[in-house]
Amino acid sequence: MFDFDATLPLMAVQFLLLTALLNAVFYKPLMKVLDEREDYLRSGDTGSKDKLAKAESIVKEYERQIAQARRESQDLIQKAQAEAKEITTTKVAAAQQEVQSQREAATQEIEQQKAAAFATLEQQVDSLSRQILEKILDPELVK
Amino acid sequence: MEILGALTFVNTYTLAELEVGEHFLWKIGNFTVHGQVFLNSWIVIGLLVIASLAATRNIQKIPGGIQNFMEFVLEFIRDLVRNQIGEKEYRDWVPFIGTLFLFIFVSNWSGALVPWKLIELPSGELAAPTNDINTTLALALLTSLAYFYAGLKKKGLSYFKHYIEPTPVLLPIAILEDFTKPLSLSFRLFGNILADELVVAVLVLLVPLFIPLPVMALGLFTSAIQALVFATLAGAYIHEALVDHHD
Repeated sequence: MFDFDATLPLMAVQFLLLTALLNAVFYKPLMKVLDEREDYLRSGDTGSKDKLAKAESIVKEYERQIAQARRESQDLIQKAQAEAKEITTTKVAAAQQEVQSQREAATQEIEQQKAAAFATLEQQVDSLSRQILEKILDPELVK
Repeated sequence: MEILGALTFVNTYTLAELEVGEHFLWKIGNFTVHGQVFLNSWIVIGLLVIASLAATRNIQKIPGGIQNFMEFVLEFIRDLVRNQIGEKEYRDWVPFIGTLFLFIFVSNWSGALVPWKLIELPSGELAAPTNDINTTLALALLTSLAYFYAGLKKKGLSYFKHYIEPTPVLLPIAILEDFTKPLSLSFRLFGNILADELVVAVLVLLVPLFIPLPVMALGLFTSAIQALVFATLAGAYIHEALVDHHD
């Protein structure tokens, strides 16, 4: 059982040759493939991470733009409303003023006409009273 | 002497069926070589090389079939080596420890799965290369050389300081360790594989059908475990040589 002979060194040499051979046809090429695949996966991983980050930043940018647009539209609406209110108030004020002035003018006219009417009435009082007298009394008496 | 002779006779007689310790000897110059070990190791090596070539002949980014399988094997080996040696230095040692694991594993399983008995040899029989002490000791000594190389390459001559650190009292034990490591590595593997084959052979002799099957399954399990243990321990020894005690 324990008979050592030249098998031992020859087997050792043969094993070393096998190691060298397998290193050339097995370990090196397949290790290279494994490393390359690992690199590929890692680069794909980082690439997809980059893309995801980019997409997220784009989404954020769009959201920011949307918020800004909404704010602007809000501003615009408020401004428009304020303007509209201002316009209505000025218009109402102007209309009221006109109404006031027209009313004043109308009152003035009425006053004038009243005065004129009174004046004519004053003038007619004499003749009318004379006529009344002539009617009641004898016209000779009146003359 | 007579009794001893009778014992060896009994031994050779009862084990004749198992043919333990009989070798298909080749003579190369003045040296003898166990031919059956080499024949079988060439089959194992052929299997490994063919599988590797088939896996790497047409490498795809998305692996399929044999490439997928061999990548799985490589990732298993890589994780094993990385767990033992650490992230920083494991890459240099993947080929050595990985080949240890693959060679031992395929050898063990070839011994357990293939009915080598069907192939007639002039003497001895084909079996797992790892059930010859020459093979296991060769692998264990290579492991020793590997961890010495690792330590010397990284730390230079100050690698030998670990013998007297933290205290010189442990120097004999530290030196002894360098001998016990290959010894235990080689005998563990050799003993397990040989014992497994013997148990299966004896059971087959006694009860040819069905009874040996659970033991064979157990043999497959121990074979795989022994390959894993050998590779893991080799990694642990190399890591021990690489590790810095100062920080």
